[in-house]
Amino acid sequence: MRKETREYKFDWMLWTMFDAGAKIKKGFPKEYSHSLNYMPYFRGVIEPMLATGDPGQKFIECCAAYLDNLVHSRDKGFKTAITTFCFSPAILYAMDIVPVCLEILSVMQTLTGKRGTAEHLDYCNEVGYTETSCSSQRGSLGGYLAGNGAEIDMIVTDTPGVCDTNANAFAFAAAYLDKPFFSLDMPPELNGVRSDAYHLGDFRALIAFLEKHTGKKLDIDKLREIMQRIQKQDELVAELEDLARLRPSPMPVTFNFMVHASRFLFAGMPECTVCLESMLAVAKENAAAGRSGLSSGVEKLRSFWCYIDHYTQNLRLWQMLERNNICYQGNILSRSWAANAPHVKEYGTEAAAYELDLSTLDSMILGMALLNSRMPMIKSIRGPYDAKNMWLEDTVNLAKLHGADFIVYNGTPGCRNTWGMVKMFARDTEKAGFPTYIMYADAFDDRVESWEATQERFEEFLTVRGLL
Amino acid sequence: MIVAGCDVGSLTSKAVIMDDGRVLNSVIIKSKARPWESADEVMKAALDGAGIAMNDVKYCVGTGYGRDKMKFINEAITEIACHGRGARWLLPTAMTVIDIGGQDCKAMRLDRDGKVVRFMTNDKCASGTGRFLEVMARVLGIGLADLGEMSARATTPITMASACTVWAQADVIAHLNNRVPIEDIAAGVNNAMASRMAVLANSVGVERDVCMTGGVAKNDGVVSALEKLLGVRIKRIRRSDPQMAGALGAALFAHDRVNGGSR
Amino acid sequence: MKEEFREASAVLENKWVKKWKEGGGKVVGYTCSYVPDEIFYAAGILPYRVRGFGAEAMTIGDTYFGPFICSLPKCMLQLAGQGGFDFLDGVIITPGCDSMRRLDECWRKMGDDAGAHMPAFHFHFGVPHKFTDYSVTWFIEETRRLVAEVERHFNVTITNEKLGEAIRVHNKTRLLLERFDAIRSQADPPISGTDALAVILAGTTMPRDDYNSLLGELVGELEQGGERLAGRARLMLVGSASDDVELVRLIEGDRALVVADNLCFGTRFYSNLVNEEGDPVEELAKRSLAHNDCPRMYGEYRDRLNRLINKAGKARVQGVILQNIRFCDLHGSENGLFERDLEKAGIPCMRLEREYGPIVESGRMRMRIDAFLERIV
Repeated sequence: MRKETREYKFDWMLWTMFDAGAKIKKGFPKEYSHSLNYMPYFRGVIEPMLATGDPGQKFIECCAAYLDNLVHSRDKGFKTAITTFCFSPAILYAMDIVPVCLEILSVMQTLTGKRGTAEHLDYCNEVGYTETSCSSQRGSLGGYLAGNGAEIDMIVTDTPGVCDTNANAFAFAAAYLDKPFFSLDMPPELNGVRSDAYHLGDFRALIAFLEKHTGKKLDIDKLREIMQRIQKQDELVAELEDLARLRPSPMPVTFNFMVHASRFLFAGMPECTVCLESMLAVAKENAAAGRSGLSSGVEKLRSFWCYIDHYTQNLRLWQMLERNNICYQGNILSRSWAANAPHVKEYGTEAAAYELDLSTLDSMILGMALLNSRMPMIKSIRGPYDAKNMWLEDTVNLAKLHGADFIVYNGTPGCRNTWGMVKMFARDTEKAGFPTYIMYADAFDDRVESWEATQERFEEFLTVRGLL
Repeated sequence: MIVAGCDVGSLTSKAVIMDDGRVLNSVIIKSKARPWESADEVMKAALDGAGIAMNDVKYCVGTGYGRDKMKFINEAITEIACHGRGARWLLPTAMTVIDIGGQDCKAMRLDRDGKVVRFMTNDKCASGTGRFLEVMARVLGIGLADLGEMSARATTPITMASACTVWAQADVIAHLNNRVPIEDIAAGVNNAMASRMAVLANSVGVERDVCMTGGVAKNDGVVSALEKLLGVRIKRIRRSDPQMAGALGAALFAHDRVNGGSR
Repeated sequence: MKEEFREASAVLENKWVKKWKEGGGKVVGYTCSYVPDEIFYAAGILPYRVRGFGAEAMTIGDTYFGPFICSLPKCMLQLAGQGGFDFLDGVIITPGCDSMRRLDECWRKMGDDAGAHMPAFHFHFGVPHKFTDYSVTWFIEETRRLVAEVERHFNVTITNEKLGEAIRVHNKTRLLLERFDAIRSQADPPISGTDALAVILAGTTMPRDDYNSLLGELVGELEQGGERLAGRARLMLVGSASDDVELVRLIEGDRALVVADNLCFGTRFYSNLVNEEGDPVEELAKRSLAHNDCPRMYGEYRDRLNRLINKAGKARVQGVILQNIRFCDLHGSENGLFERDLEKAGIPCMRLEREYGPIVESGRMRMRIDAFLERIV
């Protein structure tokens, strides 16, 4: 890591960038265009985001508020916990803990930094963490391992049984930084009495751990309030997902990204509700006018992403989709498994869903345990990909529901789990009638495959398969 | 007393003849398919140049990947130890040595006595080695020696796939097709190389002074990119060709042996 | 006699397996040391640890697995696809690690495509990643589920008495291997690490009663003395699964000896006894899950580190080789931590990343090992 990189804490730098980003559109147009010059590597993101109007503005504000909490956690009396995107942060907020979500911070770093996540990725290797590990955590973990971020109190994750490289990142961090560690473990089956009991026992142990390391008892009223907001947010997401089924889809391409990011940052908190409401308003307006969410207004193709996006600099993935008039019909990250989600009803997967019962503390804890066990990735890649309620079934059903013309896989070379099954998975999605493209890029690191090459190969797929 | 060191690498082979700690002759040749042939040839050239017969050599140490196959040596020592030793002789203040050879690269940290206390080598892929630069230079249609000078004239170096040489090659071709200035590509190549080396160097812990050995030490583009990444100045070796460090180290070990010293 | 062990460790369908099958016996393969093989002993079935050595190509492995996957399960799949495991009547896959657990789908799909090579009995054994009251409860139930499925499929009855007997027989192996460890820890031990691994591996591929008697003889002989291997650097081998004696041979060369290990195919296979009192299924599940030597048991690093330091002290090792198969992030990363902390404790370490399978880069590995030996001796 360069000396100059260590001069300022990286999360502080992110906060200043997003904080400024949240403000620049509020001045005069000239001030706006002038200010953009001061964020040369971020302008490629902030401009298209803010161009979506209120949702983009709210989303950048949401990111800024999150980072504000993170870098000022001590002043605000919060503890901090390094955690993962597929761990619902609601329980942490209920305990006054700021979730230090590594994957989201990696995305922020790759969206804003001149050198993206490269220095953090490399720093991890330099202190002994393997270079083949997933870049989604390494992209920000390097900053914390180097002591170049906010102070960390504890580490919590929920990926053992789901994703080794993810769980390992947190276990490594705990050992390296010598911090308290807790992991929720996921049995291979999602449903059933045994799995429910396991999820519940594990979640109770998590609460005990959090109570021990915050010195606070779980506040039932606060938890209830947060869970009520989650119910509201689930309704909003369900409505957005339902609207996305329309032809043309009224959802602008970046909405999916904003839906999942705001939930990973602020599930159960008002900031997330505000973002979702703003997106829903725009989607409804487009739907009422029969308008496509694409900026050209012309929808030529509908894509479904069965795993994650590609985040490196300037939202280039979304730009490419826009340029080709392809709408984005969701990915594994944006999915909600609340009982009211449209795909749950449509495909009769109620058993795979969760319901929140807020009547007693026990029922709330069970609800949180089940919600957490149905987070993206946690739900669908814990068992064999072709088992009930797992990756293949979810993907094919969702692709059908959203009228997708094709399916794309993108991840990182660190994803041992999906790379162990994606070839067979793609064979099966093809059999189900969806041309399927496997991208070999790294969502967080251009040095694995440059964006230019990724784009060329992607467009070649569209051409060869006669989709364009 | 005359001693010799012979370093057979994958791309080049080197030999050094030394008399009482003074270099009498050093020779570098392109390696042959079989390491023992390279060893015989480079050794013969070095001896002939110094006007010395093999019988006059009291002790000879072999190193490099072909070290166990040399017929004329008294002892084989790894290139890790030899490069450390050679680098310390070339630059007496060296504590960290970065060596980039044809098909591997390594970082070493030395103790006060010049003994290697920590080392790391690259994994098996060619990216981050001299071969990587050679492939890229060929794709760019320039000489290997021009890469450094060209990258100095870059304005916006490209970011390229650097984890794999084959993919990197595809990337370079794509950039050429897109009419990206060759200087920017060259700088991207050197930066990619430097960043892989920086990981190795930081893994062993960088302690000053830092020096570079191996052929790539002559590429100023890589060296200066590496300086930026590591935040230290890399001391240039002037006393000899940095590619000779391994053979020099081997000759120095031979010198120790005939003078009754162990390593 | 060492030949017996060598064959059982280096031939897939070794003579013991052949004899077992000829007698009408069933064989069930498993991929992970968290599977309690006592269950199969009690059922009169030969438990067989699935191996990956000897795969020369990766055509089948690469057809089903993606490119960024550990080469050990790829080699296992390759062998399976070539009919190397056709003698198996069943196979148990666990979520030991992500690469290994996807062997489940890969093997099944390959079997579908080929219309062969997939054992009739197939079981996904869910081993939790933590040791707590609720995970033990889960695992006891999971073990009961396995027992019931084995009983149903193979039409056998696994009584508590049979399980108790199996536990006693397997504990006997563990005690013998403990004595074997003590022999390896001696100054100038009478057995190399290469041979020692062959002896240990044989226990996973041959009938337990035969193994116990062969092992008992060997241990007795070695305790009496034997030809000593003197003047070699004493090493401990740590990290990813290694069932290939050739790797140990390469590391040892003629200058070093591997006198201790923490490998899945090594000491992890036999450390800790099963309690012989109490409900046998519960005790089997508890012994398996209490094992936290594998980095799949997250958050237990300190325990593992302390165990390594103790082991290094007992075996008086001069250096530790921390190896991992490429893409094995669990061991690879933990090796990074071990290196930091063992060096701090004054124990020299070398990290070595490698591919599983035919050793193709022996020159480079040899150089690194030699350089390490130059450092520590």
